[in-house]
Formats: sequence, structure tokens, C-alpha cells
Amino acid sequence: MTGSKVNRRNLLRIGGSVALCSSAYGFAAISAPRTLKFGLTPVFLASDLDLLASLKEYLQVSTGEPVELVTRRTYQEITALLISGWLDAAWICGYPYVAHQQELILLAVPVWRERPLYQSYVISNADRAVTDFEQLGGDIHAFSDPDSNSGYLVTSSLLAETSRRPEDFFDRTFFTYSHRNVVHAVAAGLAGSGSVDGYVWEVMLETEPSLTTQTKIIRKSEWLGFPPIATARDHRNSAAAAKLRSAFLDLSATPAGSKVLSLLRLDRFEPAEPGLYASIAAKAEQLRRLG
Amino acid sequence: MIRRLFAPMTWPITIRAPLMVAALMVFVGVLLSRELLVRLASAQEDHLKALSAAYLDGVSSAVLPHAIREDVWEVFDALNRASSRYESVNALTTVVVNSGNRVVAASDPKRFRTGELLALWDAKFSASGRDFVIDARMARANAVRTLSVQGQKIGRIYTELDIAQLLQERRTLLWQLILTNTGLTLGLAAIGYVAMLWIVRPVQILGDHLERAVDGQIRPIEEAALGHLDSQFGQLFRRYNAVAVAANEREALRARLAEEEKLASIGRLASGMAHEINNPLGGMFNALDALKRYGDRETVRATSTRLLETGLRGIRHVVRATLMNYRGTSQMSDLEASDLEDLRFLIQSAVRQKALDLNWDNQIKRPLKTQVSAVRQSALNLLLNACAVAPHNTTVGFRAEEIDACLEVTVRDQGPGLGAEYKRYIETGREPLAVIGEGKGLGLWMVRKLMVEVGGSVKVETSAMEGTSIRLNFPIANQDAIHAG
Repeated sequence: MTGSKVNRRNLLRIGGSVALCSSAYGFAAISAPRTLKFGLTPVFLASDLDLLASLKEYLQVSTGEPVELVTRRTYQEITALLISGWLDAAWICGYPYVAHQQELILLAVPVWRERPLYQSYVISNADRAVTDFEQLGGDIHAFSDPDSNSGYLVTSSLLAETSRRPEDFFDRTFFTYSHRNVVHAVAAGLAGSGSVDGYVWEVMLETEPSLTTQTKIIRKSEWLGFPPIATARDHRNSAAAAKLRSAFLDLSATPAGSKVLSLLRLDRFEPAEPGLYASIAAKAEQLRRLG
Repeated sequence: MIRRLFAPMTWPITIRAPLMVAALMVFVGVLLSRELLVRLASAQEDHLKALSAAYLDGVSSAVLPHAIREDVWEVFDALNRASSRYESVNALTTVVVNSGNRVVAASDPKRFRTGELLALWDAKFSASGRDFVIDARMARANAVRTLSVQGQKIGRIYTELDIAQLLQERRTLLWQLILTNTGLTLGLAAIGYVAMLWIVRPVQILGDHLERAVDGQIRPIEEAALGHLDSQFGQLFRRYNAVAVAANEREALRARLAEEEKLASIGRLASGMAHEINNPLGGMFNALDALKRYGDRETVRATSTRLLETGLRGIRHVVRATLMNYRGTSQMSDLEASDLEDLRFLIQSAVRQKALDLNWDNQIKRPLKTQVSAVRQSALNLLLNACAVAPHNTTVGFRAEEIDACLEVTVRDQGPGLGAEYKRYIETGREPLAVIGEGKGLGLWMVRKLMVEVGGSVKVETSAMEGTSIRLNFPIANQDAIHAG
């Protein structure tokens, strides 16, 4: 494990400050033309260059502005850039959203299989005889990201229900900073089990069945709010945020947008309400109480 | 035959020479192949070592920043990327361990679990004292590289390479060498065999002719096989032909001498016969004269008639023996004791001249199917020879008996003994014919000739002190067959 949540929060704040300073210098140095900066966390199928190119092209056409897609290795980096206002909007996970709900505003939420919801899966290698989560004790467990809801929070809070921490229940844990990498690590046997985004696993079942068939689902969580698109509260009235919101809500209206949705295996985007993430907030609170 | 198989020196040179070439080729082939394989193995090892070093360099650079933090996923990801980038290295497994030799991540995580202590290969490297070890039995090579930053050791990278392909190359080369060398060896042996056949063919021709010459037929080499006049074998063949012509001429001369000797012998026989006939003739004429004068007297008539009858019977014995001896038939017929008895009449003149004691022992009890004429002529020749060489007042022996389905005729004398060359000649016929000649030993030559014709054998015992004993063995035809016939 890489430290407690409190430490992560502190780091996040420091990171955010650093990013803010950087962005301030950045704005001072670079003047017009204005480029829309949209952040992407590895919550979705990162490294899919075809998807990134299609999304960028769609957003540029839809907003009429140059668009820069900003990707980072960790959720923490993207969240810090978003809160600092350096990004106009970002597709973040529900966990960072509830953690920074005071500083962030929801713009849209994806609809997958007709619901703005998804699940967290605990998976293991398909060759193992385990069928129950409790049988995974003593495993090497792969998490996606310490700020991921499905890739960390759900499993940690599940253990917190019985006052256990991941480092106590598992023999060893590590972060892969990508849901796809979690599936890969479990399939290869690097980890005995892993916590992964259920949406990503289901999409990979279509796109990379050779990996997913080497894993099996041990536990599915309850339905939780799908990772949303958010902007900094300070940008809630900005034109950039409005353009990006409209672009995502209108994705299904154009062929280019439909292509993006098709690549993402999503139905559409719709306006989001903070209440969608109440259950995630409860899990975060449970974990916080454990200390 | 089987004994010859195990005695290589008795094998034909056409086999021995190609075999020697083949053995030499095998020896050279084995030496060269071994040298080649050793060099190939060395080159492969050097190449593999360099390849594994390049691979470990690349992997080290990729994993080093992550190995410092013991970032399991990043180390694994780096190893994964390296394995696809360095496919030609055939790395089966690569393991990164921390300074405590515990696994951070391995390209084959099911085999090497993160966090476990890696002792498997450490012992192998410690034992050899090297950072590159080959295990040909398992078709594996292992290499190790220490990861260090600013002189601080943070871990190691172990890798296991699959060298089955390299070993397969060695095996393939080995088989290619074996097949090539075998092919070359067999090919050269075959060429050697054909070449030797061609080279020794004149020797075989000469050998065949010499083999026939031993049996008495000296046949010159045909004109077509003589070859070029300037060639060594051409000259040799021509010298052989010259020798053959000379030998044949000598043989013809000897036959002529034998014929003359035969005529002379007949003359002597005729003279003896005349003598034998003449002896009673005087008495017979006296008896005839007495009959003319005093034929009216009963006593004179009876006495003269008895004398005439005795004289005529003696003449009849001599005439019959001569007729028997020279009727010249080679057919098989029954030999009876009486057929040999009358030989005594043919030699009695010689016996009487030297006052010899004739020890006659005829043990033939029943008719024996054999070539009677050959038996009689052989026995008569030996008896006449014995009488000729025997000193005055000594004994000449004759014995005839049936032993083991053979007729054995033995003639002994107390003469000065038979020369070794004559003994060899009459027993084996192998002695050069030159020993027989100039009127000497023609009787033996005739006996040898007759014995070869009837398929008999001769055994001679001779010494200067005890004289000579010549034993002739004549085969007897199957008696059942005779009776059935």
C-alpha cells in the first residue's frame, strides 16, 4: 500500500497547489488562441489512440475550439489539474469527485446499458479454485489507483466494514494505474486477484477476450455512479465548460459523436446530479472512519 | 570360410584397400567433425553471451527506475515489453529481485511469485563463479546482471534463455556431418573397390593361369588380355607366356621320352618274353626229337608229352600276362587275386638276374571293382623300378590287400632310397616337372599319371638304410552298386 488516505489527500492538495502555480505561469507565458483543455483519467480505455483521436476531433468540431486532451498516469494528477482550474473539464472517477465535491461541479455522466451506473469487480485468475472474496485473503492483490472508486475504494471499504485494511487482508498489494493493467496482472498471474472497473472488464470481454477469459469474477459490487465529467467550481459559468458540457450531451446526435460512443461502448451522456454518488461518498466516509 | 572372415590379412586386396580408405576417412571425419562442433559450440556460446548481455542491458535500463521503488506492475510491464522487443533472445523467464533477493516481478509470475525468496539460480551462479551458465542437458542458459545506482546495489536481474534451437543446430550439423562423411566414405570405398578391381585384374589373370599350371595345364594368356607392351603387366604377361611355351615344350618332350621309355620297356619285356619262351623251347624240341625217334616207347612218349605240356604252359602264362598288362582298357572291371599273380611272370627275368628274393603277399580275397589295367601297370612299374634299384641278393616285397574300401598295393625294396623331390612329385604332383627327365624316373611319372586318372593316392616311406616302400591306394567302386548293376 502507498500510505493512508489522509496522506493521499495531503499530497493531492500539495499537487493541486503545484499544478495551480504551474498553470498560472503557463497562462502568463501563453496567450491566445484559447485552447480547451480536457483531462482524461485512466478510468476508461486509456492508450486507445484511435479513441483519443476521434474524441479530440469530435470535441473540436462540436465546440468550434482547439481542444487539447490531457492525460496523466494517475487520477491524482488529473484531479489536481482540474481543481486548480488548469483544465477546463475532466473525466474523473466518482471517488475524487466525492472527495472534492466542494470544489467540483458535475457537467455530465455517461449512460451505460441505459443506466448511469457501473459496478466494481473483484476478479481472480481463472485457473484458481476460489469462489468467494474471503478466499482471497493472503493474495497478492492488484488495485488500479488509490483514487479509483472501483479500483480501490470499493474493496477497501468492503474490508473496512469488518475493520480490516487491504494490507492486513492481502499478503501484498500494488497499483497498476490502469484498469486494463489490473486485468492483465491477474491474467498473467502477477497478482492472484484484483479490483477492477466492471465497465472496463465488460468492454474488454469484447475487445480483448484473450485477457479476460484468463480471469473470473469473484465479487460484483452494488451499482454505483458512473465516473462523471466535472469542472472546477470556479469554472461553472465559463464558456469553455458550457461548450464541453453541450458537446458531451450531444454526442449521440452526430456520426462523429456516435463513433466515439461506439468506441466507448456507451449509450450517451446525460446531465448528472450529485446524489448519484452518495453511495460512493458513504464508502469514502467508511474508509475515513477506519483511519 | 568363417575363419577367413576373422583374419583380415586373408581378405582380398580389393576389399582390404577400400576398407582401409574407409577407415581413414572415418578417422579424419571424426576428427574434423569434432573440431567443427567444438568451434560451433564456442561461437554459439560467445554469441549467446553477447546477446544475453545486450538483452540484460536493455532490460536493466527499463526496469531500473521501477526496481528502485519496487514497483511491481511497472517492473512486470517493462519485462513484458522487453520480451516482445527481444524475441530473438528466446528469454523464457526474466526475474527482477531486490537487494534481499526477493522477487519484485517476473515475466513468468506464476512460476516466480512476487515477494518470494529466489534461491533457484543463485546457487548455480555461485558454484560456477560466472554470470553466464549453460545447461546443455536442460537446453537452458542462465545469465545474471546486478542492478545498482550510484554504487548502491538495489537488486539483480536473472534471465533464463531457451537454447534448444542452438542445440538443435548443433545436432543438425552433427547429423549433416555424419551423413556427408558416411556418403563420402561409402563413395570413396566404392571407387576404391572399383579401382582396385581394375588394378588387380592383371594379377588375377596371372593368378588364374598359374593356378591352372599347378594342375599341369600351362596355358598362355590370350592375346587380347596381354595389354600394352610397355606396361608392367604387359611385359610380365609376355614373360609368363614365354615360360608357358617353354614348359609346354618340356612337357611334350617328357611325354615323348615316356613313350620311348615305354617302347624300350616293351622291348625289354619282349626280350624277357623271348627268353622265357626260349628256355622251354630247347627242352620241348628235345622232347619232340625223342618222340620222333622213340615215340613207340611208352615211357619216352609219356615223358616227352609231359615236358611239352610243361613248356607250353609256361609260354601260355607269359603270353597271357603280357596280354593282360597291355590290353589298354580304362574301364572298371573285377580285379581278382590272379590278376596280380601273373605279374610275377613279367618280372621273374629281372628277379633272376639279380638273384632277388621276391616276397609276394597277395591278400585279395574277393573280386574288387576297379580299373584293373591301371592297377596292374602301376604295380608292374613299381616292381620293375624296385628290381632295377635293388642290390643283388636283396628282397623285393609286394603286398596287395583290401583296406577300408580301397585296394592298397605296396612295393618295397632295399635300394638306396628315393630322392625327396621324387617323393614329393609322386605323392603330390607339386614338384616341378624338371625333376623328372633325362630318362630318369619315368616310371614314377607314369605311376603319378595313372593315380591321377583313377583318383588314387600315393604314400612313400623311404630312407637310405631301409630302402623304399611305396603304397598305392586305389578307390573301389561301391559293391552294392556293382551288384545292383
